[in-house]
Formats: sequence, structure tokens, C-alpha cells
Amino acid sequence: MSPRRKKPAPVPLTGDSPTTAPLGNDPILRSVSRAAFALVLLFAFLLLWRGHNAPGGGFIAGLMTVGALILHRMATGTSALHVDPLRLVPWGLALAFLTGLVPYLLGRPFLKSAYGYLTTPLTGEFEWASALLFDFGVYLVVVGGSLAIAYALIDVDPQERVEGDE
Amino acid sequence: MTLAVFLPFLLSALAAWLGPRLGRRIGYVAALAFLPALLLALPLAGMPGAVPALEVTRWVPDLGLNLAFRGDGFSLLFAVLIGVIGTLASLYSVAYLSDRERFGRFYAYLLLFGGSMLGLVLSDNLIALFGFWEMTSVTSFLLIGLWHTRAAARDGAVKAFLVSALGGLGLLAAVSLISLAGNSTTLSGLDVAALRASPLFTPALLLTLLAAFTKSAQLPFHLWLPTAMEAPTPVSAFLHSATMVKAGVVLVAKFGLLFGTSPLWSGIIVPLGLATLVWGAWLALRQTDLKALLAYSTVSQLGLLMSLYGLAGAEGNFAGTAHLLNHAAFKAALFFVVGIIDHETGTREIPLLGGLRRALPVTFGVALLAALSMAGLPPLGGFISKELFYEAMLHQGPLFIVVAVAGSALTFAYTFRLLRVFLGLPRAPQGAHPHEAPPGLTLPAAGLAGAALLFGVWPASAEALTRTAQAALNFAEYREHLALWHGVTPALLATGLTWALGAGLVWQAGRVGALQRRLTPRVNANTAYYALLEGVNVFAAWLIARTQGLALPDQLRVMLAAAAVIAGYAVLRAPQVFHPFGTLPLGVLPIAALLVAGAVGVLLARNRLTAVVVTGLTGFGSAAAFLALRAPDLALTQLLVEAVTVILFLLAFRYLPGGRDLKRSRWRLRLDVGLAALAGVGATLLVLSSVRFLAPPISPYYLVNSYAGGGGKNVVNVLLVDFRGFDTLGEVTVVGMVALAVLALVRLGKRGRTATAPEALPPEGLPPEGLTPTPPARHKEPA
Repeated sequence: MSPRRKKPAPVPLTGDSPTTAPLGNDPILRSVSRAAFALVLLFAFLLLWRGHNAPGGGFIAGLMTVGALILHRMATGTSALHVDPLRLVPWGLALAFLTGLVPYLLGRPFLKSAYGYLTTPLTGEFEWASALLFDFGVYLVVVGGSLAIAYALIDVDPQERVEGDE
Repeated sequence: MTLAVFLPFLLSALAAWLGPRLGRRIGYVAALAFLPALLLALPLAGMPGAVPALEVTRWVPDLGLNLAFRGDGFSLLFAVLIGVIGTLASLYSVAYLSDRERFGRFYAYLLLFGGSMLGLVLSDNLIALFGFWEMTSVTSFLLIGLWHTRAAARDGAVKAFLVSALGGLGLLAAVSLISLAGNSTTLSGLDVAALRASPLFTPALLLTLLAAFTKSAQLPFHLWLPTAMEAPTPVSAFLHSATMVKAGVVLVAKFGLLFGTSPLWSGIIVPLGLATLVWGAWLALRQTDLKALLAYSTVSQLGLLMSLYGLAGAEGNFAGTAHLLNHAAFKAALFFVVGIIDHETGTREIPLLGGLRRALPVTFGVALLAALSMAGLPPLGGFISKELFYEAMLHQGPLFIVVAVAGSALTFAYTFRLLRVFLGLPRAPQGAHPHEAPPGLTLPAAGLAGAALLFGVWPASAEALTRTAQAALNFAEYREHLALWHGVTPALLATGLTWALGAGLVWQAGRVGALQRRLTPRVNANTAYYALLEGVNVFAAWLIARTQGLALPDQLRVMLAAAAVIAGYAVLRAPQVFHPFGTLPLGVLPIAALLVAGAVGVLLARNRLTAVVVTGLTGFGSAAAFLALRAPDLALTQLLVEAVTVILFLLAFRYLPGGRDLKRSRWRLRLDVGLAALAGVGATLLVLSSVRFLAPPISPYYLVNSYAGGGGKNVVNVLLVDFRGFDTLGEVTVVGMVALAVLALVRLGKRGRTATAPEALPPEGLPPEGLTPTPPARHKEPA
């Protein structure tokens, strides 16, 4: 799978079928999506960041990011993510697993999270938690997995017929 | 000991990485991996009296799962054996393998295998023992299938894996039963009296036997071992002589302490071992391929070892351990010799070869020593252990000794068949000019053959090694000594008879061969195996066609019906479990009405798009309900899941034909309504019945501890990432796997040449292909 799509988004052959509407040449959608994309993405990061103390977390943030990326993809026809989404999955899993492994190797229960407080002049008191790393791993997996599915569905041309198809 | 087990694993990773860089020299690094195993020989010196060493590494202590390695005399002896043969096989491979071989992969597998085997023999923890046992199955699968481009190698690997995995399942069940009945997960900590009194004793015994027989290729599981010779020759030497196949023998020897009191134990193992001895030798005599001959000879010799350890007595264990040493020495040496012959002449077919003693004098000497030890001729180690074997079988009864003599006579015969390639007139395939092999090939073989000779002319050396096992296997009272000459005993007479019979077989080789051809059974273990495999395939195809050939809606109907029935049954069986679950806030009622409306609306929708949108109503309605019940995290999740689901739905709809109305007859609508209602009622009843506060609810605990323990104010998130982080890890793994599965379905489902050319379409709304920057290739295939 190439990071960038090699094949253009499917475009209807004849146009008589409403289910194969073109993805990605609506000017209104394109201009609106730019602002929306950035806002949604920002909100997703916020969700991820504050997840430990307020509603939010890796899973939700991941889904929200996926929504933003799909919107971008549908509006512009290009992927805003410059890597193959599926590649995020092993990285995310590895990150989540490693955050669990480190406390285990230090003789504490697997996935036992550590946390503490830092005070910086800019932000005031600020909590850090190893759980955030774990959450980030979850985030990566959710983004990678869902996006891979969505892109796969977008990528394949439903009009395409293969030899032997019935 | 822990180091001895883990160093091969560590170096295996290193070998995989260094392989492409160092080439064949990686073999010297690989040989180092067995160094700690070799050093285990030091504690062996004072062994019979010494207390076994125990090294425990905690792993999951709550489950009784630790890595406990126990260095008693028998385990250490075996570990050293593995170390010696492993080192020699690594060194031999350096000279043996062709330049095109992928050394990194080969040595990585070899070391993984060696490490698993060391873990298996040293492990005191039963669960870890099973783990190592399965790892030997998996790694031997990889080793046998190393040349995976060859169909025979693939077949051999699969066969070995299927057969030994069957035994592995047996072992898993057996160790579970043993640790349940014996109240311990460690072998040395078992309550043997409780185990013997337990009703689980007999099932555990039978399952252990299944494991031992499959691994050690006893009848009728002997079929995998000969095909396992598709592996490279050094691997065969390692697998056949010292390790893999002897895992079953180790199991019988060690578990004999537990099960030996049962008459069932010896009653099954000894006859089956003897039958394997004769049948393996009979089959070996028929082979024309040198390696196949040796493979069947291993089957036969393992039968001999099994029958000795199966006696579970002092005599059997002593003789078994002595023969174990001898067998490892001569069999590995013979495999190395066959490797040399193969290397020098390009063939292993006995009819094509002859008179090799002139071209390969050193190899001939080595082969002679090893082969005569196998045939049980003095003054070699094999003679002595064969005498002990006869002695033990004489004590069992006349039938046993008759079978034993018959098997040994056949062994004698096939040994001379093997040696025939060195005798007679020089003969080799065209173009081959055999000359003496490089020292890298001959030295390992010579060392092992030397050991076979040493055990014969200086029996005290073998005896000292054999004695080390006595405390471990509980035969302290055994007073016999190893010696070449005991005087004229019944065993010696039996040996004389064996030689006479064997010589007769060699003399009448032509007639024996004709007889064997005439006696070839139409049905053997291999045909049974393939028939079984084929049967499983046919059955699976039949089952899939019956169960998964339905259209997706029909499958859903079946699932819903099943859910309704199961839930209804569960509630019916336990109707008393309904409990009040507090009061519902009134604000939820309109939302509930919305949810129901959405559900009914889906049924009434006439068109897919409408159906999806209306389904969304239930999804967003649930989110609203979560909000009303003050669960913002759940509501947020539900909202986003719903949004992404709708997007994916709509994308998937592009594959379906047009925006036509759904075809739906009236009775089908009724069926669906009925099914949905039933499933819904069932699920509701199930939920209601499970909402019971028999135990105090767990939520206050999390509310109290989430900030103190996890450092977060959001209980749900702390629950997900800390208290139950392991669950979450599993769930995201599932997410990743689902993505892979969907990708495979969508992308790889359509293979073949496309009938309509999509590249002819105008790429609207896209930058031209040439302008998209291609990211640098990060993934580099190893050369």
C-alpha cells in the first residue's frame, strides 16, 4: 500500500447511478472543510490531552481525528496523513505495550501508570501521567485502523469489474 | 541455568540481525550460545550426591507461572547433550550450507530451537514446560520447512507440526490435570500421593502418553519423523539425535516418577516401544535414501529408549540413560556422515553409491565406528547399552526378549546396508568426484564417533555420566556396572543370536527385499494421515457451505434468533434473579421513545439510505440517554462511533446497486419484526436479570481510588488506561486486526485483471500524478 493513493478517487462512468457520486470535487465542501478540518483536529487533540481528568481520551480523540481526516479526504481527494494509516497500528500497539512493560520490568504490575506534577511558569501546576502515553498508543491504533478501513472503501472503484466477476 | 536457556534466545535475535552482515561466519557466534549449556557439565561431576540446583525467575506468580529451572542430574545431563550437539551442529553448518542460504534466518531458528529444548529439559514449572514443548514444535516446523520452496519440505513441516501439536494439546491437558490433582505447578513440588489418589490420575497419564508418543514418533505417530528429514542435514542431526524427538523420552523418564506405579504406564509404553523398535527397523531396512534410513532408525531407537524408560524402574532408567548417551553420539555422527556423503557426491541414494572408502577414508572410519555402535558390536558403547537392554527385557518375559532380539537383528541388517555405500566397487553419480570433506565437516562427526568408542572401551566414563541421572530418576539402589564383559549371561547369548540373525538378513538381503516389497501394506500411517487431512478439508468445506453460504441478512436472522433463544433460555432457567434496579429519571423517557421510534423506523424504511439515517436515530438517541444519565464520556464515544459508522456505511453503499427500494415481501417484514422483537426482549430480560446487587457494587471503589491510584479525575479514563489497561490493550489489538481483515476483504478480494480500465478515467479534483511528492521509502527489504 502506498502512502499516497496511486489511483484517483472513483468517478462515475456514466453518471446514471446516484450511489457513485464523485468524492472530491465540490467547491463549497472543499472550502468549508479547511476550517472545519483544523478545528476538529484541534478539538481531537484537546480531548486526548485532557482525557485523564475530564471526558475524553485516546479512543474518542482517535475517532474524532478519523472523522476530520475522512472529511479532508472527501473534500480534497488527497490524504492529509502522509503515511499509510495501517502503519500507525503497529506503532500504536507497540507504544501502548511498552508503557505497560516498563512498570513491569521495574517490578510493579503490568500497565501500572505513574504520574506526578510539574510546575512551570507558563502553565502553572501541570500533571503528567504515563497513562497519556498509553492513551496516545490507543489513539494511534484507532486512527490507523479506522482510517485504513475508510480509505480502503474510498480507494476501490465500485464500478470496477474483475475477470470472473458475476 | 537461566542463562543457559536464555542466551540462545538472545543470540537468536542477534543472529537474525547479523546474518546478512556476517554470512556464514555467524555460525561461530551461534556456537557460543550453547557455551553456558556446556558449562552445566561442571555441576554434573559431583552429581549423584549433590542437591539439585533450583533457579526461579518470577513471571506471573499469581497463576503459579514462574520460570523455574531445576538442575538435577538427568536434566543437566540432557542439557549438556543438547549443548554439545548444538555446538557441533552450528559449527558443522558453517561448512555445510551453501552460499545462497540465508544464514541469519537459519541460525536464528536453530538457536530458538536449541533454547526451547534447553528450557524443556530444565524446566521445573509444568506450565513453562508446556510452553517450551510447544516452542520446540513451532521452531522445528520452521527448521524442517527451511527450504520452503520445496513442496516436500512444506509437507514435512506441516506433518511434523500437526502431529506434535496434537501431542502438545494432550500435554497441556495433562499438565493442567496434574497441577490440579497435585496441588502445585512445579514438578518437584507436586503432592505425588494426592495425585496418585486422584480420579484425574488415569486421564493425566493417558494424555501424557499421547504427548510423549507424538513427540517421540512412536507408533502410530512415527510418520512425521521420516519426512522431517527434509530439513538441512545438520538440523536433522540436531533434531533426531539429541533433542526434539527425545523430548518424549524425557517426558516419559521424568513423569515416570509420578505415573510409574500404575501398571497402565509400563503396560502401554513397553509393548508400544518394542513394536516401534521392530517396525521402525523393518521400515529402515527398506529405504534407499541414506537419510530416510537413518530417520526410520531413529524411530526404531526411540522405541527402544521408550521401552526402557517405560519400565519406570532402576534397571530401565539406568539402561535407558546409558543408551540415550550412546544413541546421541552415534546417531548425530551418522547424520553428519550422511551430510558429508551428500555434500561430496550430490546424492544420498544407496543404489547409486559404492566404494566410497577409497575416496573418503576418514569419513569411512567415522562411519564405521558410529554404525557399529548402532548395530551393537563390541567394543563400542552401543554394545554395552544393548546388553543392558536385553537384560531388562529378559526380566520382563520371553515374549519381550524375542521382540527385542528381532528388532536388534533388523538394526544389525540395516546398519550394514548403510555401510554398503563405503564397500564394494567405487560407484558415484556422473560428474561427482568425491574427495575428503573439509575438517569443518569431518571433525564434529569424528568427535561424536570418538565418544561412541570411548563409551565402549572405557565404560566407566559412560557409567559416571549415567550415574548422574540416578538421584533424579530415583534409582539409587541400582548396583550394576557398565562393562564390556559380564561373563556368559543370557543377554550375551541373545546378542549372539542377534548377530546370527542379522548376518542372515545381510546375507539374504535380496530375498528380504523381495519379501518386504511383497508385504508392503496398502494402508499405512501416511495414507491414513493424508486421508484424515483430506477428510478434514472436505468436512470444513461442507460445513462452511452449509453455515456461511447464506446471504448476510439470513445470517443476521440466524444470529438474532439464536440470541433470542439463548437469552430466553437463560432467563427461563433462572427466573428468580429479577431485582429492582433503582429509579429511572423521568427525562430519559422521551429519549427511550425516540430510540424505539428509530428501531421501528428502520423496519419501515423502504430504502437503504433512509434505513441508515433512521438507524442513526437509535445511535444518537443512545448518546442522548448516556448524557441524561450523566455519562458524558460514553455519550461522546457513542456520538463519534455513530458518526464514523454512518460514514463507513455510506462509503460501503457505493458498492451496492442503485438507490432502488428494498425488496421486501410482507411475510418477510413480519418475520424480521418478530425476530427483532424477540431478540430485543431476550436481551432486555438478560440485562434485567444481570442487574442484581447481590454483591456490593464496585463503582465506589473506582470513584475513591481513581485519583489516588491513577492520578486522574476522569474515572472512566483511569479505568480504561490504568485499572483495566490490559483490557484496553486487547481491545485496540482487536481494532487493528479488524482493520487488517477489512482491508484484506476490500482490497485483496478482487484479484485479477480489471475488465474496465480505471486509469482511463479523468482524475478530476486531484493534482496530476507526477506532482505528488513520493515519500522516501522507509521500509527496506532485507537482502
